[in-house]
Amino acid sequence: MKLLVCVKQIPDPDAPVHVNAHGTWVDVDGSTFVMNRFDGFALEEALRIREEIPDTRIDVVSVGPERVEAVLRRSLGMGADHGIHILTGSDGYLSSFASATWIAAHARACNYDLILTGVMSGDDMNGQVGPLVAEMLHLPCATSVIFRRMMPESGRIFVEREMEGGLRDALEIRLPALLTLQSGINQPRYPSLSKMLRANRHPLDIILSDSLESPTIHLSVMQTSLPQKIRAGLILEGTPGEKARQLLDILQNRLMPA
Amino acid sequence: MRVSSQSIVVIAEHVEGQVRSITYELAAFARILQKEMPSSDIKIVVIGDAIDKMAQIMARNTGMSVFAIHVPGLAGYNAEVYKNVLADVLTDWRPSHVCAAHSSQGMDFVPGLSFRLGAACITGVEAIVKHDEIICFRRAVCGGKIMADVHADSPMILLSVLPGSFAPDPKDASAPGSVQQRTMESAPKQSVSLGIIRKNMDASAVTEADVIVAAGRGIGDKDHLGLIYRLAALFPKSAVGGSRIVCDSGWMDYSQQIGVTGCTVAPSLYIACGISGAIQHVSGMRGSGFIVAINTDPKAAIINMSDVCIVEDLASFIPILIETHEKRYAEDTSQ
Repeated sequence: MKLLVCVKQIPDPDAPVHVNAHGTWVDVDGSTFVMNRFDGFALEEALRIREEIPDTRIDVVSVGPERVEAVLRRSLGMGADHGIHILTGSDGYLSSFASATWIAAHARACNYDLILTGVMSGDDMNGQVGPLVAEMLHLPCATSVIFRRMMPESGRIFVEREMEGGLRDALEIRLPALLTLQSGINQPRYPSLSKMLRANRHPLDIILSDSLESPTIHLSVMQTSLPQKIRAGLILEGTPGEKARQLLDILQNRLMPA
Repeated sequence: MRVSSQSIVVIAEHVEGQVRSITYELAAFARILQKEMPSSDIKIVVIGDAIDKMAQIMARNTGMSVFAIHVPGLAGYNAEVYKNVLADVLTDWRPSHVCAAHSSQGMDFVPGLSFRLGAACITGVEAIVKHDEIICFRRAVCGGKIMADVHADSPMILLSVLPGSFAPDPKDASAPGSVQQRTMESAPKQSVSLGIIRKNMDASAVTEADVIVAAGRGIGDKDHLGLIYRLAALFPKSAVGGSRIVCDSGWMDYSQQIGVTGCTVAPSLYIACGISGAIQHVSGMRGSGFIVAINTDPKAAIINMSDVCIVEDLASFIPILIETHEKRYAEDTSQ
């Protein structure tokens, strides 16, 4: 089988974020970057499929500026076979539609049996790239997959999609197909040192986004802002002991038995 | 039938024959949007096999006209059929706005459908705002630390609306809306829906608790979970819950998960320990009576939705809190 995993590099979700000078997107200057957590589940699932089905090859693709190379190296360190970097010129906001257009342009020529990606990215939180790539390639698509079982004899895959309230939507999909994976489907492995060393020497395919069709973008971010306070957000001051006493006073007044 | 170009279509969501409450939130959202586009009309579309009763109920509850698309054999949701059927009718109608739920169903079909229609797509909409008279849709990015107001320059815009963002309007007392029906044959070719699986989870511990102490990724170490349970033990009728990431790590059972994909809770007191405040978690607990956040990051999104915040490391602060409480209790009982 031939698998493609789409991974995104995002600003570290644990680090503080700032609005850029124009007030139109997040300022990423000086940020540290990590692999989108949900894409880690997608890559892990691909590695497990390769363990189940011999002669499986895993390509990993990422769209972005030069720094994005790091997530491709990390993917190779986790065990992916080959990395493809769709290199964009700028470090600004990258719309889901643009990323999807370029990933689809790459995938169209490669006849992948299965394309996997995370259910959404931790920064833009759209959940659009996966379903858009599927639609652009006329592939069936299932999002928020929490369980899957390959059915190689029938060329299908059984999946369970996570719904609200503890329900799951079960379906069988004909390959080739695209899945977006929900967190919790597996525990992604760490890159191994020996694989990382090899990964650093492994050549990546670099495709300039300018050489691909340029998508028409209908969306623009007019303004970004900090979320409004919807409650008092009283920050207690003092030593930890003083804060503990203040908090207990407040709670005692509200509901704790004396 | 043609819908005018300035019109709003709401895609009803239903599961196992029941209209989901998000459908009424979408109707309320559509009414707010309608005020910005005076001559527009609103239509609710419902798709499925046995939908007559649901169509009547929605027409009665909202006073809006309902277009029921009867698809023989379509028991529940199927992405392929939804996209095929909706691409057909929406190509015909050319509405300006299409509203669906930002739910497991909506997130599944909305982006693909937007591509098929050549429409713009904005997901996870929480509010409608205007900048220089231009309508924008507000959505959370970066785990809710930043809100982005997005404008779409396109004749048709597909929107997925975050559940819990718009309160349903009170039941419309005027005449029920009209119900129109159409039958469309559409069978999925690339997928077979096998029905809904119910995971037997008893979430009653958290949904019925008066006090919930919840842990997020900020607890850092599994060993700190003991502190969360000890803190909860100070309160009667209490329970311990967690954000998705804590459950994904296997540190808690999924029956304890609070948020969009877990339980929705509204206890009198909610103590969020090491929880960043991502919208997926917050939408499951924002109805709580009183919210306390214990977090090392004073800029965490949870601060904005808490009544009281303690900026401390929970691993050192919770033991002090427990000790302070125990001392007080000892003093009280010795008097």
